[in-house]
Amino acid sequence: MTRSLVRTLILADWERHRWPVIFCIASGVLALGLIQVGGELPFIFGATWFFTGLIVLACILPGSNVINERKKQTLPFLMSLPISITQFTAAKIVSTVGLFIIPWLTLVIAAVLYIAGHEKFPNGSIPVVIALASLVLVGFCLIAGVALVSESEGMMVAAMVVSNSSYGFGWYLLVRNAVIRADMKNPEIVWNTEILTVLGFEFAVIVLILGLTFYLQSRKRDFV
Amino acid sequence: MKNLAIQLDGVGKKYRYFTLDNIQLQLPPGQIMGLIGPNGAGKSTTIRILMGLIHQDQGEVRVLGHRMPAEQVAAKWDIGFASEDMRLYDVMTLDWHMRFIRSIYPQWDPAYAQLLLKRFGLMAEQKIKGLSHGQRVKATLLLVLARRPRLLVLDEPTTGLDPVARHEILRELTAVMNDEGRSILFSSHNTQDVEQISDQITFIDRGRIIDSMDKEAYLDRWRRLRLEAPTGIELPALPGVISIRQTGRLAVATSNEFGPGIARAYENSGARVQTIENMTLEEIFVAKVELSREEHQEVGA
Repeated sequence: MTRSLVRTLILADWERHRWPVIFCIASGVLALGLIQVGGELPFIFGATWFFTGLIVLACILPGSNVINERKKQTLPFLMSLPISITQFTAAKIVSTVGLFIIPWLTLVIAAVLYIAGHEKFPNGSIPVVIALASLVLVGFCLIAGVALVSESEGMMVAAMVVSNSSYGFGWYLLVRNAVIRADMKNPEIVWNTEILTVLGFEFAVIVLILGLTFYLQSRKRDFV
Repeated sequence: MKNLAIQLDGVGKKYRYFTLDNIQLQLPPGQIMGLIGPNGAGKSTTIRILMGLIHQDQGEVRVLGHRMPAEQVAAKWDIGFASEDMRLYDVMTLDWHMRFIRSIYPQWDPAYAQLLLKRFGLMAEQKIKGLSHGQRVKATLLLVLARRPRLLVLDEPTTGLDPVARHEILRELTAVMNDEGRSILFSSHNTQDVEQISDQITFIDRGRIIDSMDKEAYLDRWRRLRLEAPTGIELPALPGVISIRQTGRLAVATSNEFGPGIARAYENSGARVQTIENMTLEEIFVAKVELSREEHQEVGA
Protein backbone atom coordinates (compact mmCIF):
# COMPACT_ATOMS: atom_id res chain seq x y z
CA MET A 1 0.00 0.00 0.00
CA THR A 2 2.70 2.43 1.13
CA ARG A 3 5.08 1.56 -1.69
CA SER A 4 2.31 2.25 -4.17
CA LEU A 5 1.61 5.58 -2.44
CA VAL A 6 5.27 6.60 -2.82
CA ARG A 7 4.97 5.70 -6.51
CA THR A 8 1.73 7.71 -6.77
CA LEU A 9 3.46 10.78 -5.29
CA ILE A 10 6.39 10.40 -7.70
CA LEU A 11 4.07 10.11 -10.70
CA ALA A 12 2.05 13.13 -9.51
CA ASP A 13 5.25 15.19 -9.25
CA TRP A 14 6.30 14.10 -12.72
CA GLU A 15 2.92 15.00 -14.15
CA ARG A 16 3.05 18.45 -12.59
CA HIS A 17 6.56 19.18 -13.88
CA ARG A 18 6.50 17.57 -17.29
CA TRP A 19 6.58 20.86 -19.22
CA PRO A 20 9.92 22.24 -17.89
CA VAL A 21 11.45 18.81 -18.58
CA ILE A 22 10.09 18.66 -22.13
CA PHE A 23 11.19 22.24 -22.69
CA CYS A 24 14.73 21.45 -21.45
CA ILE A 25 15.04 18.43 -23.75
CA ALA A 26 13.78 20.48 -26.72
CA SER A 27 16.19 23.29 -25.83
CA GLY A 28 19.14 20.86 -25.65
CA VAL A 29 18.25 19.33 -29.01
CA LEU A 30 18.05 22.82 -30.56
CA ALA A 31 21.47 23.62 -29.06
CA LEU A 32 22.93 20.50 -30.70
CA GLY A 33 21.26 21.62 -33.93
CA LEU A 34 23.05 24.95 -33.66
CA ILE A 35 26.40 23.18 -33.31
CA GLN A 36 25.49 21.27 -36.47
CA VAL A 37 25.58 24.59 -38.40
CA GLY A 38 29.37 24.45 -38.13
CA GLY A 39 31.99 27.06 -37.33
CA GLU A 40 33.50 28.22 -34.05
CA LEU A 41 30.79 30.71 -33.02
CA PRO A 42 27.80 28.35 -33.45
CA PHE A 43 29.81 25.70 -31.58
CA ILE A 44 30.49 28.02 -28.63
CA PHE A 45 26.88 29.30 -28.58
CA GLY A 46 25.45 25.78 -29.00
CA ALA A 47 27.65 24.22 -26.29
CA THR A 48 26.92 27.08 -23.87
CA TRP A 49 23.19 26.88 -24.59
CA PHE A 50 23.27 23.09 -24.14
CA PHE A 51 24.80 23.29 -20.66
CA THR A 52 22.85 26.42 -19.69
CA GLY A 53 19.58 24.55 -20.30
CA LEU A 54 20.66 21.80 -17.91
CA ILE A 55 21.92 24.30 -15.32
CA VAL A 56 18.67 26.29 -15.43
CA LEU A 57 16.62 23.10 -14.99
CA ALA A 58 18.90 22.11 -12.09
CA CYS A 59 18.01 25.42 -10.43
CA ILE A 60 14.28 25.42 -11.25
CA LEU A 61 13.30 21.87 -10.26
CA PRO A 62 14.30 21.87 -6.56
CA GLY A 63 12.51 25.19 -6.10
CA SER A 64 9.39 24.06 -7.90
CA ASN A 65 9.19 20.50 -6.60
CA VAL A 66 10.54 20.93 -3.07
CA ILE A 67 10.62 24.52 -1.79
CA ASN A 68 7.22 25.39 -3.27
CA GLU A 69 5.58 22.57 -1.25
CA ARG A 70 6.22 24.65 1.86
CA LYS A 71 6.06 28.10 0.27
CA LYS A 72 2.73 27.44 -1.44
CA GLN A 73 1.45 25.51 1.60
CA THR A 74 0.79 22.24 -0.21
CA LEU A 75 2.97 20.33 2.27
CA PRO A 76 0.14 19.87 4.84
CA PHE A 77 -1.98 18.41 2.01
CA LEU A 78 0.71 15.84 1.18
CA MET A 79 1.49 15.08 4.80
CA SER A 80 -2.18 14.46 5.55
CA LEU A 81 -1.87 11.40 3.32
CA PRO A 82 -0.90 8.05 4.87
CA ILE A 83 2.82 8.60 4.45
CA SER A 84 5.74 9.01 6.87
CA ILE A 85 8.48 11.63 6.69
CA THR A 86 10.93 8.99 5.45
CA GLN A 87 8.57 7.89 2.68
CA PHE A 88 7.88 11.49 1.73
CA THR A 89 11.64 12.11 1.52
CA ALA A 90 12.14 9.00 -0.60
CA ALA A 91 9.33 10.09 -2.93
CA LYS A 92 10.71 13.62 -3.24
CA ILE A 93 14.31 12.49 -3.85
CA VAL A 94 13.26 9.98 -6.49
CA SER A 95 10.82 12.35 -8.20
CA THR A 96 13.14 15.38 -8.17
CA VAL A 97 16.28 13.48 -9.20
CA GLY A 98 14.23 11.51 -11.73
CA LEU A 99 12.80 14.69 -13.24
CA PHE A 100 16.35 15.91 -13.80
CA ILE A 101 17.91 12.59 -14.77
CA ILE A 102 15.45 12.11 -17.65
CA PRO A 103 16.46 15.24 -19.62
CA TRP A 104 20.06 14.99 -18.38
CA LEU A 105 20.46 11.42 -19.61
CA THR A 106 18.55 12.12 -22.83
CA LEU A 107 20.77 15.08 -23.65
CA VAL A 108 24.01 13.37 -22.61
CA ILE A 109 23.14 10.39 -24.84
CA ALA A 110 22.15 12.79 -27.64
CA ALA A 111 25.46 14.66 -27.25
CA VAL A 112 27.48 11.42 -27.23
CA LEU A 113 25.67 10.12 -30.32
CA TYR A 114 26.12 13.49 -31.98
CA ILE A 115 29.89 13.49 -31.36
CA ALA A 116 30.17 9.84 -32.39
CA GLY A 117 28.28 10.58 -35.59
CA HIS A 118 30.39 13.56 -36.67
CA GLU A 119 33.98 13.15 -37.74
CA LYS A 120 34.83 16.78 -37.08
CA PHE A 121 34.42 16.11 -33.32
CA PRO A 122 36.96 13.58 -31.96
CA ASN A 123 35.41 10.72 -29.99
CA GLY A 124 38.04 11.34 -27.33
CA SER A 125 35.96 14.33 -26.19
CA ILE A 126 33.05 12.04 -25.16
CA PRO A 127 34.43 11.19 -21.66
CA VAL A 128 35.06 14.90 -21.04
CA VAL A 129 31.50 15.81 -22.10
CA ILE A 130 30.18 13.13 -19.72
CA ALA A 131 32.38 14.43 -16.88
CA LEU A 132 31.29 18.03 -17.54
CA ALA A 133 27.61 17.03 -17.61
CA SER A 134 28.11 14.95 -14.44
CA LEU A 135 29.35 18.04 -12.65
CA VAL A 136 25.99 19.68 -13.43
CA LEU A 137 24.33 16.55 -11.99
CA VAL A 138 26.43 16.93 -8.82
CA GLY A 139 25.39 20.58 -8.60
CA PHE A 140 21.75 19.64 -9.07
CA CYS A 141 21.93 17.01 -6.30
CA LEU A 142 23.48 19.57 -3.96
CA ILE A 143 20.73 22.13 -4.69
CA ALA A 144 17.99 19.50 -4.33
CA GLY A 145 19.48 18.08 -1.11
CA VAL A 146 19.84 21.50 0.51
CA ALA A 147 16.29 22.41 -0.59
CA LEU A 148 14.85 19.24 0.95
CA VAL A 149 16.71 19.42 4.24
CA SER A 150 16.55 23.18 4.83
CA GLU A 151 13.15 23.85 3.18
CA SER A 152 14.52 27.37 2.86
CA GLU A 153 14.63 29.40 -0.33
CA GLY A 154 17.63 31.35 0.96
CA MET A 155 19.65 28.20 1.64
CA MET A 156 18.69 26.81 -1.75
CA VAL A 157 19.86 29.99 -3.47
CA ALA A 158 23.15 29.72 -1.54
CA ALA A 159 23.52 26.14 -2.83
CA MET A 160 22.80 27.40 -6.36
CA VAL A 161 25.54 30.03 -6.02
CA VAL A 162 28.03 27.39 -4.83
CA SER A 163 27.04 24.97 -7.61
CA ASN A 164 27.00 27.50 -10.41
CA SER A 165 30.33 28.97 -9.32
CA SER A 166 31.93 25.55 -9.20
CA TYR A 167 31.06 24.64 -12.80
CA GLY A 168 33.51 27.05 -14.44
CA PHE A 169 36.21 26.15 -11.96
CA GLY A 170 35.58 22.41 -12.32
CA TRP A 171 35.59 22.56 -16.11
CA TYR A 172 38.78 24.63 -16.06
CA LEU A 173 40.54 22.06 -13.85
CA LEU A 174 39.28 19.25 -16.06
CA VAL A 175 40.57 20.57 -19.40
CA ARG A 176 43.76 21.88 -17.77
CA ASN A 177 44.82 18.31 -17.03
CA ALA A 178 47.45 17.42 -19.66
CA VAL A 179 46.41 13.76 -20.04
CA ILE A 180 42.72 14.58 -20.35
CA ARG A 181 43.44 17.43 -22.79
CA ALA A 182 45.61 15.17 -24.94
CA ASP A 183 43.07 12.32 -25.00
CA MET A 184 40.27 14.74 -25.90
CA LYS A 185 41.77 15.04 -29.38
CA ASN A 186 42.04 11.27 -29.83
CA PRO A 187 39.73 9.96 -32.60
CA GLU A 188 38.87 7.02 -30.29
CA ILE A 189 37.31 7.14 -26.80
CA VAL A 190 39.98 6.86 -24.12
CA TRP A 191 38.97 6.11 -20.53
CA ASN A 192 42.18 7.16 -18.85
CA THR A 193 42.76 7.00 -15.08
CA GLU A 194 42.31 10.75 -14.68
CA ILE A 195 38.86 10.87 -16.26
CA LEU A 196 37.75 7.71 -14.43
CA THR A 197 38.91 9.27 -11.14
CA VAL A 198 36.91 12.42 -11.89
CA LEU A 199 33.78 10.41 -12.76
CA GLY A 200 34.24 8.18 -9.67
CA PHE A 201 34.60 11.26 -7.48
CA GLU A 202 31.49 12.87 -8.98
CA PHE A 203 29.50 9.67 -8.47
CA ALA A 204 30.72 9.36 -4.86
CA VAL A 205 29.72 12.97 -4.12
CA ILE A 206 26.24 12.34 -5.56
CA VAL A 207 25.79 9.23 -3.37
CA LEU A 208 27.08 11.15 -0.33
CA ILE A 209 24.74 14.11 -0.89
CA LEU A 210 21.67 11.92 -1.41
CA GLY A 211 22.55 9.67 1.55
CA LEU A 212 23.10 12.65 3.82
CA THR A 213 19.82 14.20 2.65
CA PHE A 214 17.95 11.02 3.49
CA TYR A 215 19.64 10.72 6.88
CA LEU A 216 19.02 14.34 7.91
CA GLN A 217 15.41 14.22 6.73
CA SER A 218 14.69 11.06 8.70
CA ARG A 219 15.88 12.79 11.90
CA LYS A 220 13.40 15.66 11.61
CA ARG A 221 10.82 15.83 14.38
CA ASP A 222 8.69 18.70 13.15
CA PHE A 223 7.56 18.65 9.60
CA VAL A 224 4.87 21.22 8.99
CA MET B 1 -10.17 3.81 26.62
CA LYS B 2 -9.09 1.66 23.70
CA ASN B 3 -12.10 2.77 21.65
CA LEU B 4 -11.47 6.50 21.87
CA ALA B 5 -11.11 8.29 18.54
CA ILE B 6 -8.56 10.68 20.03
CA GLN B 7 -6.65 10.48 23.29
CA LEU B 8 -3.97 12.93 24.34
CA ASP B 9 -2.42 12.28 27.72
CA GLY B 10 0.00 14.76 29.31
CA VAL B 11 1.17 16.04 25.95
CA GLY B 12 3.72 18.85 25.94
CA LYS B 13 5.75 20.68 23.36
CA LYS B 14 8.22 23.45 24.04
CA TYR B 15 9.14 26.22 21.60
CA ARG B 16 11.23 29.28 22.33
CA TYR B 17 8.25 31.58 22.82
CA PHE B 18 5.41 29.11 23.30
CA THR B 19 4.78 26.02 25.36
CA LEU B 20 2.01 23.50 24.97
CA ASP B 21 1.55 22.23 28.49
CA ASN B 22 0.11 18.95 29.74
CA ILE B 23 -2.68 18.58 27.18
CA GLN B 24 -5.37 16.07 28.16
CA LEU B 25 -8.00 15.42 25.54
CA GLN B 26 -10.42 12.60 24.88
CA LEU B 27 -12.85 12.27 22.00
CA PRO B 28 -15.16 9.23 22.00
CA PRO B 29 -16.27 7.84 18.64
CA GLY B 30 -19.41 9.36 17.14
CA GLN B 31 -18.84 12.74 18.78
CA ILE B 32 -17.99 16.20 17.46
CA MET B 33 -15.56 18.13 19.60
CA GLY B 34 -15.04 21.85 19.13
CA LEU B 35 -11.61 23.08 20.12
CA ILE B 36 -11.97 26.77 20.85
CA GLY B 37 -9.13 29.13 21.55
CA PRO B 38 -7.90 32.60 20.71
CA ASN B 39 -5.21 33.08 18.07
CA GLY B 40 -1.94 31.55 19.24
CA ALA B 41 -3.63 29.44 21.92
CA GLY B 42 -2.13 26.16 20.69
CA LYS B 43 -5.02 24.74 18.64
CA SER B 44 -2.95 24.13 15.51
CA THR B 45 0.02 22.78 17.46
CA THR B 46 -2.25 20.31 19.26
CA ILE B 47 -3.80 19.23 15.96
CA ARG B 48 -0.43 18.87 14.25
CA ILE B 49 0.80 16.72 17.11
CA LEU B 50 -2.22 14.45 16.89
CA MET B 51 -1.72 14.18 13.13
CA GLY B 52 1.94 13.18 13.68
CA LEU B 53 3.16 16.24 11.74
CA ILE B 54 5.16 17.45 14.72
CA HIS B 55 6.45 15.28 17.53
CA GLN B 56 5.49 15.95 21.13
CA ASP B 57 8.30 16.38 23.66
CA GLN B 58 6.31 14.48 26.26
CA GLY B 59 3.05 12.62 26.73
CA GLU B 60 1.18 10.01 24.78
CA VAL B 61 -1.02 10.49 21.73
CA ARG B 62 -3.37 7.86 20.36
CA VAL B 63 -5.56 8.39 17.34
CA LEU B 64 -8.02 5.65 16.34
CA GLY B 65 -6.01 3.35 18.59
CA HIS B 66 -2.69 4.15 16.89
CA ARG B 67 0.26 5.64 18.77
CA MET B 68 1.35 8.92 17.21
CA PRO B 69 3.67 9.80 15.62
CA ALA B 70 5.09 6.26 15.40
CA GLU B 71 1.99 4.75 13.76
CA GLN B 72 0.90 7.79 11.78
CA VAL B 73 0.85 5.98 8.44
CA ALA B 74 -1.67 3.40 9.68
CA ALA B 75 -3.74 6.07 11.43
CA LYS B 76 -3.88 8.47 8.47
CA TRP B 77 -5.64 5.94 6.25
CA ASP B 78 -8.75 6.67 8.36
CA ILE B 79 -8.24 10.36 9.09
CA GLY B 80 -9.44 13.20 6.92
CA PHE B 81 -7.40 16.29 7.73
CA ALA B 82 -7.95 19.83 6.48
CA SER B 83 -6.47 23.00 7.88
CA GLU B 84 -6.83 26.67 7.19
CA ASP B 85 -3.21 26.86 5.98
CA MET B 86 -3.54 23.85 3.68
CA ARG B 87 -3.48 24.55 -0.06
CA LEU B 88 -3.99 22.42 -3.14
CA TYR B 89 -1.77 22.60 -6.25
CA ASP B 90 -2.94 25.81 -7.87
CA VAL B 91 -1.93 24.94 -11.45
CA MET B 92 -3.79 21.62 -11.37
CA THR B 93 -7.55 21.12 -11.68
CA LEU B 94 -9.90 19.88 -8.98
CA ASP B 95 -10.45 16.82 -11.17
CA TRP B 96 -6.69 16.08 -11.06
CA HIS B 97 -6.81 16.27 -7.26
CA MET B 98 -9.86 13.99 -7.16
CA ARG B 99 -8.10 11.41 -9.34
CA PHE B 100 -4.98 11.74 -7.19
CA ILE B 101 -6.85 11.09 -3.93
CA ARG B 102 -8.96 8.37 -5.52
CA SER B 103 -5.78 6.54 -6.61
CA ILE B 104 -4.63 6.49 -2.98
CA TYR B 105 -7.78 5.70 -1.00
CA PRO B 106 -9.67 2.54 -1.97
CA GLN B 107 -12.68 3.73 0.05
CA TRP B 108 -13.09 6.85 -2.17
CA ASP B 109 -16.78 7.26 -2.95
CA PRO B 110 -17.15 8.65 -6.51
CA ALA B 111 -20.92 9.09 -6.23
CA TYR B 112 -20.56 11.09 -3.02
CA ALA B 113 -17.77 13.14 -4.63
CA GLN B 114 -20.11 14.04 -7.52
CA LEU B 115 -22.85 14.90 -5.03
CA LEU B 116 -20.48 17.19 -3.12
CA LEU B 117 -19.39 18.84 -6.37
CA LYS B 118 -23.03 19.75 -6.98
CA ARG B 119 -23.80 20.77 -3.42
CA PHE B 120 -20.72 22.97 -3.19
CA GLY B 121 -21.23 24.42 -6.67
CA LEU B 122 -17.76 23.37 -7.85
CA MET B 123 -16.57 22.49 -11.33
CA ALA B 124 -14.09 19.61 -11.48
CA GLU B 125 -12.36 20.88 -14.60
CA GLN B 126 -11.52 24.24 -13.02
CA LYS B 127 -7.94 24.94 -11.96
CA ILE B 128 -7.45 25.59 -8.26
CA LYS B 129 -5.90 29.00 -8.93
CA GLY B 130 -9.20 30.09 -10.48
CA LEU B 131 -11.21 29.30 -7.34
CA SER B 132 -12.22 31.78 -4.65
CA HIS B 133 -11.13 31.20 -1.05
CA GLY B 134 -14.49 29.69 -0.17
CA GLN B 135 -14.40 27.39 -3.19
CA ARG B 136 -10.87 26.27 -2.28
CA VAL B 137 -12.00 25.37 1.23
CA LYS B 138 -14.95 23.46 -0.21
CA ALA B 139 -12.66 21.68 -2.71
CA THR B 140 -10.36 20.61 0.13
CA LEU B 141 -13.32 19.36 2.16
CA LEU B 142 -14.66 17.47 -0.83
CA LEU B 143 -11.32 15.65 -1.14
CA VAL B 144 -11.42 14.86 2.57
CA LEU B 145 -15.08 13.83 2.85
CA ALA B 146 -15.32 11.67 -0.29
CA ARG B 147 -12.68 9.31 1.08
CA ARG B 148 -15.13 8.54 3.93
CA PRO B 149 -12.70 8.82 6.87
CA ARG B 150 -13.60 7.53 10.35
CA LEU B 151 -12.16 10.68 11.90
CA LEU B 152 -12.22 14.22 10.57
CA VAL B 153 -9.66 16.64 11.95
CA LEU B 154 -10.39 20.18 10.81
CA ASP B 155 -8.19 23.08 11.83
CA GLU B 156 -10.13 26.35 11.43
CA PRO B 157 -11.93 25.20 8.28
CA THR B 158 -14.44 28.05 8.27
CA THR B 159 -12.00 30.93 8.74
CA GLY B 160 -12.50 33.67 6.17
CA LEU B 161 -15.67 32.17 4.70
CA ASP B 162 -18.88 34.10 4.03
CA PRO B 163 -21.98 33.06 6.03
CA VAL B 164 -23.48 31.05 3.16
CA ALA B 165 -20.30 29.04 2.58
CA ARG B 166 -19.93 28.48 6.33
CA HIS B 167 -23.49 27.25 6.54
CA GLU B 168 -22.97 24.84 3.60
CA ILE B 169 -19.85 23.39 5.17
CA LEU B 170 -21.32 23.04 8.65
CA ARG B 171 -24.41 21.37 7.18
CA GLU B 172 -22.21 18.86 5.36
CA LEU B 173 -20.21 18.14 8.51
CA THR B 174 -23.42 17.54 10.43
CA ALA B 175 -24.58 15.18 7.66
CA VAL B 176 -21.34 13.23 7.97
CA MET B 177 -22.27 12.44 11.56
CA ASN B 178 -25.30 10.45 10.41
CA ASP B 179 -22.82 7.61 10.37
CA GLU B 180 -22.49 7.06 14.09
CA GLY B 181 -19.02 5.59 13.94
CA ARG B 182 -17.51 8.85 12.75
CA SER B 183 -15.91 11.54 14.87
CA ILE B 184 -14.88 15.12 14.23
CA LEU B 185 -12.37 17.36 15.95
CA PHE B 186 -13.01 20.88 14.80
CA SER B 187 -10.91 23.84 15.88
CA SER B 188 -12.01 27.43 15.55
CA HIS B 189 -11.98 30.79 17.21
CA ASN B 190 -15.50 31.28 15.89
CA THR B 191 -17.68 30.08 18.76
CA GLN B 192 -20.89 30.32 16.71
CA ASP B 193 -19.68 27.61 14.32
CA VAL B 194 -18.55 25.38 17.14
CA GLU B 195 -21.77 25.90 19.10
CA GLN B 196 -23.80 24.97 16.04
CA ILE B 197 -22.38 21.50 15.49
CA SER B 198 -20.37 20.32 18.50
CA ASP B 199 -21.32 17.81 21.18
CA GLN B 200 -18.29 18.57 23.29
CA ILE B 201 -16.36 21.77 23.79
CA THR B 202 -12.74 22.19 24.82
CA PHE B 203 -11.32 25.61 25.62
CA ILE B 204 -7.61 26.15 25.11
CA ASP B 205 -5.61 29.26 25.97
CA ARG B 206 -1.89 30.00 26.12
CA GLY B 207 -0.97 26.38 25.54
CA ARG B 208 -3.20 24.90 28.25
CA ILE B 209 -6.60 23.23 28.18
CA ILE B 210 -8.66 25.39 30.50
CA ASP B 211 -11.90 23.43 30.36
CA SER B 212 -13.51 20.57 28.49
CA MET B 213 -17.04 19.29 28.78
CA ASP B 214 -20.36 18.55 27.13
CA LYS B 215 -21.77 21.58 25.25
CA GLU B 216 -25.17 21.34 26.91
CA ALA B 217 -23.51 21.20 30.34
CA TYR B 218 -21.77 24.50 29.58
CA LEU B 219 -24.94 26.19 28.45
CA ASP B 220 -26.90 24.78 31.43
CA ARG B 221 -24.40 25.72 34.11
CA TRP B 222 -23.35 29.20 33.08
CA ARG B 223 -25.57 32.18 33.93
CA ARG B 224 -25.20 35.92 34.21
CA LEU B 225 -27.10 37.57 37.10
CA ARG B 226 -27.84 41.29 37.03
CA LEU B 227 -28.15 42.53 40.59
CA GLU B 228 -29.14 45.72 42.31
CA ALA B 229 -27.28 46.16 45.60
CA PRO B 230 -28.43 49.08 47.79
CA THR B 231 -25.69 51.18 49.38
CA GLY B 232 -24.18 49.44 52.37
CA ILE B 233 -24.99 45.96 51.14
CA GLU B 234 -21.93 43.86 50.44
CA LEU B 235 -22.47 41.07 47.95
CA PRO B 236 -21.29 37.75 49.39
CA ALA B 237 -18.64 35.61 47.70
CA LEU B 238 -20.57 32.48 46.74
CA PRO B 239 -19.32 29.11 45.54
CA GLY B 240 -20.07 28.75 41.83
CA VAL B 241 -19.77 32.49 41.19
CA ILE B 242 -16.55 33.20 39.36
CA SER B 243 -16.77 36.98 39.07
CA ILE B 244 -18.71 39.98 40.32
CA ARG B 245 -18.31 43.35 38.64
CA GLN B 246 -20.00 46.19 40.48
CA THR B 247 -20.61 49.74 39.27
CA GLY B 248 -22.43 51.81 41.87
CA ARG B 249 -25.66 50.05 42.84
CA LEU B 250 -25.58 47.71 39.87
CA ALA B 251 -23.58 44.49 39.75
CA VAL B 252 -23.14 41.63 37.30
CA ALA B 253 -22.30 38.19 38.70
CA THR B 254 -21.16 35.34 36.49
CA SER B 255 -21.80 31.81 37.64
CA ASN B 256 -20.30 28.63 36.18
CA GLU B 257 -22.27 26.35 38.52
CA PHE B 258 -25.64 28.02 38.54
CA GLY B 259 -28.41 26.79 40.79
CA PRO B 260 -31.45 28.52 42.33
CA GLY B 261 -29.53 28.73 45.61
CA ILE B 262 -27.26 31.42 44.19
CA ALA B 263 -30.11 33.84 43.39
CA ARG B 264 -31.63 33.10 46.82
CA ALA B 265 -28.33 33.82 48.56
CA TYR B 266 -28.08 37.23 46.88
CA GLU B 267 -31.70 38.04 47.77
CA ASN B 268 -31.00 37.03 51.38
CA SER B 269 -28.00 39.37 51.46
CA GLY B 270 -30.30 42.31 50.67
CA ALA B 271 -29.58 42.57 46.93
CA ARG B 272 -32.30 42.36 44.30
CA VAL B 273 -31.89 39.95 41.38
CA GLN B 274 -33.05 41.90 38.30
CA THR B 275 -32.48 39.23 35.65
CA ILE B 276 -30.88 35.80 35.23
CA GLU B 277 -29.56 35.45 31.68
CA ASN B 278 -28.33 32.47 29.68
CA MET B 279 -24.87 32.98 28.26
CA THR B 280 -23.73 32.30 24.72
CA LEU B 281 -20.77 30.03 24.16
CA GLU B 282 -18.73 33.08 23.18
CA GLU B 283 -19.53 34.80 26.48
CA ILE B 284 -18.71 31.62 28.40
CA PHE B 285 -15.46 31.28 26.47
CA VAL B 286 -14.37 34.87 27.15
CA ALA B 287 -15.28 34.57 30.86
CA LYS B 288 -13.42 31.28 31.13
CA VAL B 289 -10.30 32.67 29.42
CA GLU B 290 -10.30 35.75 31.65
CA LEU B 291 -10.72 33.63 34.78
CA SER B 292 -7.97 31.26 33.68
CA ARG B 293 -5.57 34.12 32.98
CA GLU B 294 -6.34 35.74 36.34
CA GLU B 295 -5.75 32.45 38.16
CA HIS B 296 -2.57 31.86 36.22
CA GLN B 297 -1.27 35.33 37.08
CA GLU B 298 -2.06 34.80 40.77
CA VAL B 299 -0.18 31.50 40.78
CA GLY B 300 2.73 33.15 38.97
CA ALA B 301 2.79 36.13 41.34
